Amino acid sequence: MSNAETTRSARKAPKTWSQLSAAGVRRKPSEYEVVTHNLIYHMDKSPTPFELAASAPLNAWYLRYREGSTFRVDDWNGFRDPHRLTYHSYVSQQNQREIHLDAIVDRFEAGGDRPPLSADWVAVLERVYLTSRYSSHVLQMAAMYLAQLSPSSYVANCAEFQAGDEMRRIQRSAYRAKSLSLQFGEQLADTQATRRIWEDDEAWQPLRKVLEELLIAYDLGEAFAALNLVVKPLHDAFFINVLGVVAQAEDDEELALMLDDFRLDSDRNNDWSKALVAYAVSQRPENRDVLAGWVEKWRPQTEAAIEAASAMLADRWPADRGDMGELVAETYEALLSDCGLLPTQAV
Amino acid sequence: MPQLRRSDWYDIARDMNWNLRYVSHEQAFPPEIVGPMGDTEPATWWKWDEPYKLSYREYVYNQVDKDAGVAAVGAAIARSNLFDQLDEGWKGAIKAHFGAVTVSEGQSTLAESRMGRFGLAAAWRNMALYGALDEMRHVQIQLKVAHSLLEKDPQFDWAHKAYHTGNWAIIAAMSHNDELFLGSDVISTAIQLTFTFETGFTNLQFIGMAADAMELGDVEFGALISSIQTDEARHAQQGEPTLKLLLETGQKDLAQRLIDVSFWRAWHLFATLTGPSLDYWTPLEHRAMSFKEFMEEWIIRQFMDQLEDLGLEKPWYWDQFLDELDWYHHSEHAGIWYFRNTVWWNPDAGVSDSEREWLEAKYPGWTEKFGTLWDTIGESVRADKVDATFGKTLPILCNTCHLPVFKIPGTTSDCEPRQSVHEERTYTFCSEPCQWIFDQSPQRYVGTKTLIDRLTMGDIQPPTIEGILEYMGITPDIAGDDAAKYRWATERQPQLAAGAAA
Ligand SMILES: [Fe+2]
Ligand SMILES: [Fe+2]
Repeated sequence: MSNAETTRSARKAPKTWSQLSAAGVRRKPSEYEVVTHNLIYHMDKSPTPFELAASAPLNAWYLRYREGSTFRVDDWNGFRDPHRLTYHSYVSQQNQREIHLDAIVDRFEAGGDRPPLSADWVAVLERVYLTSRYSSHVLQMAAMYLAQLSPSSYVANCAEFQAGDEMRRIQRSAYRAKSLSLQFGEQLADTQATRRIWEDDEAWQPLRKVLEELLIAYDLGEAFAALNLVVKPLHDAFFINVLGVVAQAEDDEELALMLDDFRLDSDRNNDWSKALVAYAVSQRPENRDVLAGWVEKWRPQTEAAIEAASAMLADRWPADRGDMGELVAETYEALLSDCGLLPTQAV
Repeated sequence: MPQLRRSDWYDIARDMNWNLRYVSHEQAFPPEIVGPMGDTEPATWWKWDEPYKLSYREYVYNQVDKDAGVAAVGAAIARSNLFDQLDEGWKGAIKAHFGAVTVSEGQSTLAESRMGRFGLAAAWRNMALYGALDEMRHVQIQLKVAHSLLEKDPQFDWAHKAYHTGNWAIIAAMSHNDELFLGSDVISTAIQLTFTFETGFTNLQFIGMAADAMELGDVEFGALISSIQTDEARHAQQGEPTLKLLLETGQKDLAQRLIDVSFWRAWHLFATLTGPSLDYWTPLEHRAMSFKEFMEEWIIRQFMDQLEDLGLEKPWYWDQFLDELDWYHHSEHAGIWYFRNTVWWNPDAGVSDSEREWLEAKYPGWTEKFGTLWDTIGESVRADKVDATFGKTLPILCNTCHLPVFKIPGTTSDCEPRQSVHEERTYTFCSEPCQWIFDQSPQRYVGTKTLIDRLTMGDIQPPTIEGILEYMGITPDIAGDDAAKYRWATERQPQLAAGAAA
């Protein structure tokens, strides 16, 4: 090697973060990787995650529920969001989608082609759709919990965006509540009245119980599995898919179109859940049983809760669409199957 | 456009609180992670009211727009040689910034998310969700800019690497951030992060540095951090409603203590980072204001006014604070320069004749306190003994702020070492407030170690210079040196300059 060459290579500018080269990423890293890679430096940090006494509450919490979880791999920074979302791509994409929702609202507010909604359908909307603000808010809280406990920024960001998606649909539901209240009565926009349905309506109680319990699923693996592999998929199968079919049958096209849009968020969140399961199992096969165990714990009560909630739509379900419960079950089983978590897929 | 205005429906989307029935409040909101609610009923907190309202729809719209603005500036800069023309001292200031700040924004993401889960009102949780997304933005846009500068200068690697090391400056930053937010319950976080830190101190770094950046033509950095500051100004508003509720629920003492602890911690960290950046590393002709003037404007006037409007008082150590305002960051600056081969940027000594004049004018008495020190260093440089100007003996680090313990004659630091014993270990402190912070809550800090403790207690192996540098993550390609290649010394008395210049 000539001197000139030595000098040149000694001066070679680094192509990317030393942490990213050290992780063995050989190709030119994507912008997604450049801005997402390995930011949760305190995972497995010795002797404690935070520069406080080992017994300080937050150190104890993270050591117990994050580092101490049975859901673990050696390197969480190998996980990638299949959608490679960055902050910028998320807000850009959701901005476009919000413009789309505004257009839907505009179309129906302009009137004209809008068939009048019946008062008894509005009562169903109040009981199911408007009240789902509360259930979605719990999902938002649980996603925030998962975000702040995540072992890697690649995981945390997915959970942050998921929480944003929940807020998004809650606000659209609040808008619809106000809009309906102008025509069908003030109680539709009265949060006390809606809260009473959430707190007292028998059909809601099993689901409310599951959701309140979801809030205290603190272990990392349980928090992820209970939220993303059980409660949210089943919740959305009902409050998006089933409700969408019913809205269509009731000629509430505005709601049907909105739900179609929210399904895109829900599907995207399923995508990262599936990818995380696949990654965790590929890194450490025992993770399959860890996750399957949590799914087994949460699934029966959540399915029963959705069945109880289904009573609210039972007499609205179009007979030609087969069985309502089937739609939920099929949608959910497809997710579990993609995750390799059906009991029949046990190895 | 949809016909209803945000104000028509907003309350419906924020009044989302309910009474837990199937789990207890303590289970879902554990006291150790929620913080000191006092004897209040959970529903008391439902009236938490954010002063700034925003819908998701507006959020994504605004943020796309802001990002476009920053990206446009970045693209224009990439086509120019602007970066190459920047002053080396200033480059040091922005590298220090990227290393200390970028990944700490990710710590804020998590702290905001924790408030997004455990905040005691839905309105608070929603605001915190925007805050979490904002902070993710701050990590990402700063990483992106620093990454684009890597090819020009490997020291920018520290925008990403810093928090993965045991560097002394980063330990100080971590300790501060963990205390104020990352390792803190959500009520304390709302006060310490969003009120003290974001409503108060980040203005120094983000407005102070942006002002200087615009002055000297670093448009990219100026646009970047100004854009960040617009997010901060919004989500910082979680502090005030939380503070109001603490006062309303009879917890004024607690609120005051949180302010007193976090104000002092933030003061030391910002004095170390922003102080030298504004007063030494920014070229003299481009300094918008001195650090002290920024402190007077943003902290002593604006922040303190807000504090007093809310019914709180100045911290009990106000006199010590005012005393330190005249000397503390000058000592930090000298310490950083002295140990410049332990940092990831090239610190500018910033003590040419004209700069000394400026320093004396802004800080009467500077020459007497610090002039001689720099005279001696300058003489060593001119005598071709640059080696003698590197720190060789280990400093004593404070067990609270992890920054050096100074003893500057005629100041509050001019005393016997301040020490406390907890569980048979002696802890040393740089100042009375740092000692007070540790002593009023020892169970929160016992067992923590400064970098020097780690060395003497055997955590750093081998306990040699090489071992410490490795622990600190310092590699030869990024180890700092004088930004001006010592010209401030060699050109000061040209007749004596002999070979010391690079
Ligand atoms: Fe920030
Ligand atoms: Fe200190």
